[in-house]
Amino acid sequence: MIDSLCNEPSEEGIATAMFYCDFRDRQEQTTANIMGTILNQLAVRGGEVMEYMGREFQQAKKEVGGRGLRLPDMVEMLKQAVAALPRVFICIDALDECHPQHLLDLLVSLKGVLQDSPRTRIFLTGRPQVEAQVTRYFPDCAIVPVSPRVDDVKRYLENKLDRDPGPGEMSVRLRADILEIIPRRISEMYVRASTGPTSCIILLYTG
Amino acid sequence: MRYTAYLHSTNTGNVNSNNIRDSHNITVNVNKATADGDQEVMRWLSPLDPRGRHQDVRTDRFDGVGTWLLEEKEFRGWRSMEGGADKAVLFCHGNPGAGKTYLR
Repeated sequence: MIDSLCNEPSEEGIATAMFYCDFRDRQEQTTANIMGTILNQLAVRGGEVMEYMGREFQQAKKEVGGRGLRLPDMVEMLKQAVAALPRVFICIDALDECHPQHLLDLLVSLKGVLQDSPRTRIFLTGRPQVEAQVTRYFPDCAIVPVSPRVDDVKRYLENKLDRDPGPGEMSVRLRADILEIIPRRISEMYVRASTGPTSCIILLYTG
Repeated sequence: MRYTAYLHSTNTGNVNSNNIRDSHNITVNVNKATADGDQEVMRWLSPLDPRGRHQDVRTDRFDGVGTWLLEEKEFRGWRSMEGGADKAVLFCHGNPGAGKTYLR
């Protein structure tokens, strides 16, 4: 998503920041640290923002032992940074992998940023179970369900088959069957698995 | 200049840096292209750096996969920035393996 937003030639004025939540890094992925890395990404997109951060840092250093950042400080700085940039997109992946408390803090913080800068755009992904938390803080958000698309699975298979180290071992007919049957079956299986009484998910093609 | 150098690093996936600790998201990244003072500020702000993880995603992604989202009316409405705060958030949900991370 970030790449698509960055690559549009008419969009030189936009600033983007992204983050990937990860179960394995939960301890370090506090809300303050997530806000901090978003700030870092915005800071290098606009000299004014980096200068502002620098002033805040120098001020913090003057205090005994150097002042550590608290979440409210971070949110306030993010608000200032976003306000200083013409267009900001923030993308956060895998909200369900965020610690539950950090997730709530994160959503509250993002809501605060939006209240001050309503033109900011926030892109979130996660498993269906976090929808309730997201809509609690963003009741009007647009929601798009994601499931494997036949075309995507086909594209993936074509890519794999084109890189087959032994292409002569596969007949044209078998290749055609693979490209015809598997994408359709995978989509059907996915729909059944994700709507069935037990969630039996098949790792399909992208991890 | 600093701005340009960082953009190059981000857009090409060429993370030109000395990583103190390498993991998916937790990396204190010392970007050679960034001024020393700025590095100090950035470390103060956060020890996290998602660029390594982002590069993994870019490497694993197949061309053309996940582009369907760009045509969805929800995405176009969100992207247009015409609405106010009520149009500001787009949430894509799906089960593991559905391809959420690889949307584009």
